[in-house]
Amino acid sequence: MSHLRWLMREWRGGELALLLVSLLLAVTIVSGVAGFAERLQRGIVGESHQFLAADLVLKTPRALPAEAFAELPDGVETARVIEFRSMVVAGEAMELASIKAVSERYPLKGELTISDEPFGLPLASREIPPAGTAWLDSRLFPLLGIEIGDALQLGDVSLRAEQALITEPDRGTSFYGMGPRVLINEQDVARSGVVQAGSLVDYRYLFAGASEPLAQVQTALQPQLTVSDRWQSLDDSQPQIARTLERAERFLLLAGSFGVALAGVAVALAARRYSQRHLDTVAVMKALGAGSSQITRLYVGNILLLALVSALLGWALGLGVQTALFAMIRDLVGFTPPAGTLRPLLAGAITALLCVASFALPPVLRLRSVPPLRVLRRDLGNESLSSGVSAGAGIAGLFLLMLWYTGSVELVLAVLVGVAVILGLAGILVLRLFTSLRRWAQGAGGVMKLALSAMVRRRQANAFQVVSLALALMVLLCIIAARSSLMKEWQLQLPTDTPNHFLVNIAPDQVAPVDAWLDQHDIRSAGLYPMVRGRLVTIDGQDVYEIPEIEANRGSVNREINLSWSEQLPEDNKLTSGHWWTDSNDAMAQVSVEEEFAERLGISVGTRLGFRIGGLPLEAEVSSLRSLSWDSMRPNFFLLFEPGVLEAYPSSSITSFYLDANDKVLLNDLLSRFPTITLIEMDAVIRQARTVVDQVSAALELVLVLIIACALLVGIANLQASLDSRLHENAILRTLGASRQLIRTCLLAEFALIGLLAGLLAGVGAEICLYLIQTRLLDMEPSWHPMFWLAAPIGAASLVAVSGWWFCREVIVAPPLQVLRRL
Amino acid sequence: MIHAKNVSKRVQVADSELCILKGTSLEIKRGESVAIIGPSGSGKSTLLGLLAGLDEPTDGDIWLAGEHLNALDEDGRAALRARLVGFVFQSFQLLPGLTAQENVMLPLELRGDRSAAEVAKDYLNRVGLGHRLDHYPRQLSGGEQQRVALARAFAPQPDILFADEPTGNLDADTGASVNDLLFSLNAQSSTTLVLVTHEPILAKRCARRITLAAGEIMEDTGEALPA
Ligand SMILES: Nc1ncnc2c1ncn2[C@@H]1O[C@H](COP(=O)(O)OP(=O)(O)O)[C@@H](O)[C@H]1O
Ligand SMILES: [Mg+2]
Repeated sequence: MSHLRWLMREWRGGELALLLVSLLLAVTIVSGVAGFAERLQRGIVGESHQFLAADLVLKTPRALPAEAFAELPDGVETARVIEFRSMVVAGEAMELASIKAVSERYPLKGELTISDEPFGLPLASREIPPAGTAWLDSRLFPLLGIEIGDALQLGDVSLRAEQALITEPDRGTSFYGMGPRVLINEQDVARSGVVQAGSLVDYRYLFAGASEPLAQVQTALQPQLTVSDRWQSLDDSQPQIARTLERAERFLLLAGSFGVALAGVAVALAARRYSQRHLDTVAVMKALGAGSSQITRLYVGNILLLALVSALLGWALGLGVQTALFAMIRDLVGFTPPAGTLRPLLAGAITALLCVASFALPPVLRLRSVPPLRVLRRDLGNESLSSGVSAGAGIAGLFLLMLWYTGSVELVLAVLVGVAVILGLAGILVLRLFTSLRRWAQGAGGVMKLALSAMVRRRQANAFQVVSLALALMVLLCIIAARSSLMKEWQLQLPTDTPNHFLVNIAPDQVAPVDAWLDQHDIRSAGLYPMVRGRLVTIDGQDVYEIPEIEANRGSVNREINLSWSEQLPEDNKLTSGHWWTDSNDAMAQVSVEEEFAERLGISVGTRLGFRIGGLPLEAEVSSLRSLSWDSMRPNFFLLFEPGVLEAYPSSSITSFYLDANDKVLLNDLLSRFPTITLIEMDAVIRQARTVVDQVSAALELVLVLIIACALLVGIANLQASLDSRLHENAILRTLGASRQLIRTCLLAEFALIGLLAGLLAGVGAEICLYLIQTRLLDMEPSWHPMFWLAAPIGAASLVAVSGWWFCREVIVAPPLQVLRRL
Repeated sequence: MIHAKNVSKRVQVADSELCILKGTSLEIKRGESVAIIGPSGSGKSTLLGLLAGLDEPTDGDIWLAGEHLNALDEDGRAALRARLVGFVFQSFQLLPGLTAQENVMLPLELRGDRSAAEVAKDYLNRVGLGHRLDHYPRQLSGGEQQRVALARAFAPQPDILFADEPTGNLDADTGASVNDLLFSLNAQSSTTLVLVTHEPILAKRCARRITLAAGEIMEDTGEALPA
């Protein structure tokens, strides 16, 4: 008999629908979420290359001879960037600017954004400034008192200010001390004459291409390099957004693997019911002469066909999920999603096969051993559906699925062992409880006694039901809670009025007028912090350049650091060791150091640090280490002194404030009033970060919906599994004279009890799992959820009671004989 | 056609052994119609199951159409059943997911018969259900379901038909008409018929009656007849 025809006939039975939906969901989740994650990953990698404006960068303080790049391997593109500081002059006005001269084809990755007017709307540009022109940071226009089209002087060359420069991909994040940017053409550097031998110049040679030829470039150039030359690749510049997306991706994968596990359970339940319902069919077919191999072929073929169908359908649905997910995060990712590969199809097919092999086949394969004598004696063959093997196969399948999906043995082992222990204990407990109902039953009278003892008789099925419902609920609670705590953390990092503009270099006599100006325009600042610039020169009396361990962290000592002082520990700082200022008679000044900075330089509480500030030495002892929240966008300092130490040194102040995009024109006024103040705009970065949060949460929501669907499926499969025996028993009870009222009460009570227990277990289990997920997987503070303990049992009890009653309403409403005849 | 020699069946119940059939021997010839009668629980269904090769005896030998059943495994017996045997059950045992026609087609398809659909239609016509080919069992009355079961049993033209209380679940009138149908189909095809029943009227329509009580043959009208 043809499998297809058989499948079509079987389909009408109805049991296959649930099996197919469960399989389909598993495949959809895998191919949708995993496919999305894969494409996102590739996209992020591509995106992150923009932050270098290339795939690989050679950074050097000297110009390399052109011959060095004469022979590049095929497929490698290259461009040059020269960066230096120089004065730019327009009429009377002069400004120290950070000049960036670029060659044709810059940037190799990402794009320049410019605007027709200062602080105007951004436009992408594919070109670089033509020779003889310059693109200027918006804030330079008011500072120099010029407009678009006016001329400015850079050394010997006169350039026309043609565009306002909004941003370049490789602008970098080290914004302190960097002057306003002027982007020019490489050809104008020589003509300007400002770059002389000995000038402080950064040369960057950009390369883009596949990793093979890039590696060749690296080897070829290596002999010509000195210690001062450095290669930069992606790993050095992992941007913030990529980190957020990565976390979101990890969450998606976790949620996805839970979803797949749930779908697997649903498959197992559906397959169990399917084979239960086919015991009679198989017995009849065997009596009619079907051999067990024929039965096997028919049913296994059937299931495999189902797997194939769900693999294909699920793949298509998965593509839909991917598209939806990308649509949700469209403004966030600067890239068009890379084309999908066939991997999700393969992944989906493997999922379908694994699900089928470990969850569906064991119960179905047992059909082959149904004795034909069952046609005469219906009680035969029931026991053949033992759950031991199915459970073993199921767990093995789950393990493989989750392992393959998350790629982490530890994670999967931890989750599975944890879940197994919780559920195992729970199962025993629940079984005990149901058994103890027996005593109750003894005491009860009449039909109530029958109902209670039916419950006791079904105790194994009921315990199983409680445990599997608890599992579904637990997963759901975990995912909901993990999602909302991720979201809360993200939102906390970026409240809507997060400061998005910094003012640095505010002279002491400007502090009051700037404060007044901000007040006048209703702009709330984070306060003005005094700041002294100095270098760290000795650690415990030793010259920092002579400490070998510091070699790798030259950047931390090679530059001027911002030093500040404060009476109180700043709001979002946390002491991690030592004490805040102590009243000591010690003459030595006290300083508090940011912990990561301290770690890089091997500094701990008690270390003595030597500084040089404006030519004067200062010695201080570390009294505490602090952690900072860099995301708060307030001025933060690696080094904070106790009050009274730095006041004597020349200082400037720094502040940050929030400014709406519509109010940005105000900055023209501010900067022309206080031309020496440096403005740093962070609004684009923050806006981007906020879009990340908004859109990633939308994506997480979609996945949540899939998980809810899985949990519902498990619930439905679960209720259906026990439906036949329940209908049967209750119909008999009714023929024996039980009133509808009693049956309804019994049913509701039994289901409510099942839901209550499941909810309780799920609440406890979710709390434990969440603790592990938050601390181990998402690197977050664990949170507690007292609501779970209350809401989960009550919610589950009412939900299960209502849906259980709905599924069984027939036995309450219909005449019992009808029910009995149908079964 | 069917030959049983010293067949007994014992099953383990709790910790005691229950003997359902005690050393039963009998011989049924081609074309014979035999009724197995006896009170409920006397072992009739057990004997039928053994003769049809649905189960294995604890002791004794059984031959079906010359094949020694003891020598065959379950698959071998299934193949034999597919070739030779038809069944009618007390509880009809139609597959609920299949239409009447598909139910009748089932044994034909299991044999690989290509004209299954036509043959099934033909037999459903013969049992008077030609107009209900596409109905599902749940849409049919008990009597109609049993008539479909009859069509299913006779359609492959089996050499032997086993029937276990075919009218046990039907009211008297419906049962009578199903019986009529059973015997007329049987007459048309001259099938060997082994019929379990506790209804004397039905038993009387068979040429030979074997009476069981407590797992033993009490009376066999066939034994008395000259072969
Ligand atoms: N596998 C078995 N396990 C236990 N008892 C059985 C089994 N098979 C049959 N019996 C018992 O053997 C007796 C005869 O059964 P059966 O052949 O069905 O009788 P009949 O069909 O004459 O009513 C009954 O009491 C029945 O309960
Ligand atoms: Mg019987």
